[in-house]
Amino acid sequence: MNHILTRVRGVMPARAARTLAVALSCAALALLAALPARVTAAPPKGGVANIAMIGEPQTLDPMASTADLVGTIMQHVYELLYTYDANSNVVPMLAETLPAVSKDGLVYSIPLRHGVKFHNGKEMTSDDVLASLDRWMKMAPRGKAVAKEVKSVEAKGPYTVVITLNRPYAPLVAHLALSNGFAAIMAKESIAEPLTQFIGTGPYMFKERKPDQYVQLVRFDGYSARKEPASGYGGRREALLDELRFIPVPNANTRVEGMLAGQYQFADVLPVEAYSRLASAPNVKPVLTAPFGFPYLVLNTKQGPLTNVTLRQSVEAALNNADMMAAAFGDPKFYDTDANHYAKNTPFYSTAGTENYGKGDAKKAAALASSAKYDGTPIKVLTSQQYDFHYRMALVMAENLKAAGYKVDMQVVDWSTLIQRRNDPALWDIYITHSAVLPEPTLTPPQLGDGAPGWWSSPAKDAALSAFNAESDPKQRAALWGKVQSVVFTEVPYIRVGDFNNLTARSSKLEGYVAMPWPFFWNTGLSK
Amino acid sequence: MIRYLVSRLAGMIVVMFIVATLVFLITRLAPGDPAAVMLGEQASAADIAKLRASYGLDRPLPVQFGYWLQQLVHGNLGQSIFLQRPVTQALAERTEPTFFLTLFSLGIAMLIGVPCGIAAAVWRGRAIDQVFSGFAMLGASIPSFWLGLLLMELFAVALGWFPVAGYGEPGVALSVRLHHLVLPAIVLGVVNSALILRFTRASMLDVLGEDHIRTARAKGMSETRVVMLHALRNALIPVTTVVGLTFALLIGGAIVTETVFGLPGVGNLVVSAVLRRDYPVIQGALLVIAALYVLINLAIDLLYLVIDPRVKY
Repeated sequence: MNHILTRVRGVMPARAARTLAVALSCAALALLAALPARVTAAPPKGGVANIAMIGEPQTLDPMASTADLVGTIMQHVYELLYTYDANSNVVPMLAETLPAVSKDGLVYSIPLRHGVKFHNGKEMTSDDVLASLDRWMKMAPRGKAVAKEVKSVEAKGPYTVVITLNRPYAPLVAHLALSNGFAAIMAKESIAEPLTQFIGTGPYMFKERKPDQYVQLVRFDGYSARKEPASGYGGRREALLDELRFIPVPNANTRVEGMLAGQYQFADVLPVEAYSRLASAPNVKPVLTAPFGFPYLVLNTKQGPLTNVTLRQSVEAALNNADMMAAAFGDPKFYDTDANHYAKNTPFYSTAGTENYGKGDAKKAAALASSAKYDGTPIKVLTSQQYDFHYRMALVMAENLKAAGYKVDMQVVDWSTLIQRRNDPALWDIYITHSAVLPEPTLTPPQLGDGAPGWWSSPAKDAALSAFNAESDPKQRAALWGKVQSVVFTEVPYIRVGDFNNLTARSSKLEGYVAMPWPFFWNTGLSK
Repeated sequence: MIRYLVSRLAGMIVVMFIVATLVFLITRLAPGDPAAVMLGEQASAADIAKLRASYGLDRPLPVQFGYWLQQLVHGNLGQSIFLQRPVTQALAERTEPTFFLTLFSLGIAMLIGVPCGIAAAVWRGRAIDQVFSGFAMLGASIPSFWLGLLLMELFAVALGWFPVAGYGEPGVALSVRLHHLVLPAIVLGVVNSALILRFTRASMLDVLGEDHIRTARAKGMSETRVVMLHALRNALIPVTTVVGLTFALLIGGAIVTETVFGLPGVGNLVVSAVLRRDYPVIQGALLVIAALYVLINLAIDLLYLVIDPRVKY
């Protein structure tokens, strides 16, 4: 369906395209229901999938890093208490049901599934969950953020875990469900620093890692699957393939050629220029994950000229986000320039503040800069060519700023340097990065939390986020998110430029694959 | 001879110390941080500082350098931050593909470069000389990544004769692994043959103009015997030098080619380590490569003794 959606985007407005896509989805579902059973039969069992990834994972410890590579691979080995279904709803995974929350929103009682086996054959109990959550809250960047809100984590018998909070914190379950820097449930006896055994409950077991060659996972025959139908990351999981090999292939063109030659059954993050070649190859299906991520600019609110909020608003007005996205991703089927931070069909859709979304208004930007008494200090833009689209956006941004009367000091460094320098507020005014689109707003970008580079802190932020985090009713939360989004557009701690789609490709023999931001290969098989 | 060897080996220790110091300083003074790369986008400054401390990266540079030197003296190149294994082990794992790739590509380069260079010199100014000199110019000018992608497209995607990339699946036989090296070896062979061809041609032209060649021809010796016996042997010293240097460069890792073909060789290891700022791997790998370079140069100098009896040390 993503193909249809993205293809029609070029000839009709996004809203109409989405309506058409929804209608076609319903028609397709109706058609599927009417087809004979053999057509919709599950993919066959057996075989090996070679999966070309963008590089070598930084670590195999799923808690230690928020890098996408680590989570993508290790989500097959480790599971979470909760996860997300195809509609971004939190659904139980190792937990039996969603948590029972006390009326004051402070106590979460989580029932665990019975009979879930670890890869070492032992049954999962609350002891393992406690040890895992304890490690996550002590060492994982996301876990540490949650730990500030947690008063205690206790076991009530072998199959119940109770989390007590210091104050109501609605994003708790969303954090427990995210498979990135994640609260992986590990066999208690395997927990060590550093982790040397990777013993989880997932449908695949870790077998071997050869750096820069492969990470090899094999089917776990003792896997305890859920009964619900598969949906997104949730529901029934079945390891149909005997073996998964995640192969680091840093050169994007090599990933494309390897797909075309049939050496890989799946290739992640492909250059958009390769789309037509992939689409015309008989043995390959290009897959677009839309939306996949969003590039954003972080503004330094701690030091330098952009500590002045009016200047930040001026920068926001100066930028032509549509031009930046076009320069970065080329064909509109690979990006979207909706001003709202969440798409219309998601729970957090809001148009609050979107009138400030940058359209390249140099006059307005110059007027704001003048009222803020901009003294000509160069705006230091920190960017990297390691992500080509960052650099291309930076070039457009620099021209937009110059048109509004700014001086720009472009600092192009490699990514390792950028992530070091951004921690020093004296070294930059704007830096460019990107994030995956995540279902819960407070999960990303980190500037919505405390202490992230940019160092955004204000009474309006605190008020909006406190209200949002304290509210557990989903409908109320959607409205409260609008207020947070409005503050972001007004105080401009970061600028979300747009959404981009991820081009991947699968072999036409790889059946059952469902496109999600972090690709997974359970319920996926190879036809003969 | 013994004195020469001892002085060269003593000089090597000095060179290695200088290399070790430079490598350490360059890697540490370059911006970037392995802890930040490892922890990912969401990591806080405190998390990064904590991880840095756990690897001893928060200590003063002279202390880190002294500790590293102390380990080096005991033959320990340190522990990779990312790979969680000793640098020597990481290097040993990468040796096989790089070694065979070097052998194959050097073989191809010599098979192309030496005969073509001889032919170009013998038929100087003729069509064959123009063709081979043109080939040499082309070989030296073609970017190896472009040639790699071109060969990949033709022989792997279109014809399916060779794998696109990688070094074989887990547990495959050596012959299968070597099959993965054919395309990258051709790329490196073609690119490096250009230099060998030009050196062979120039050296042969020098020798073919000398008096003893004229004398040999005057004695009625066949042209093949003159060229292959009398001229070639005398022309070999500069060719040996360039072959040796090419060997030393390749054994240090053909960075671009290994990256394009996804080969887990030494060059790939160094590039990954630089991008991740895995200091122990960068330092250890560069030190080993420098040592190999020096040793290969010494071996070339000793080879002169065999090739040309007039050479004395």
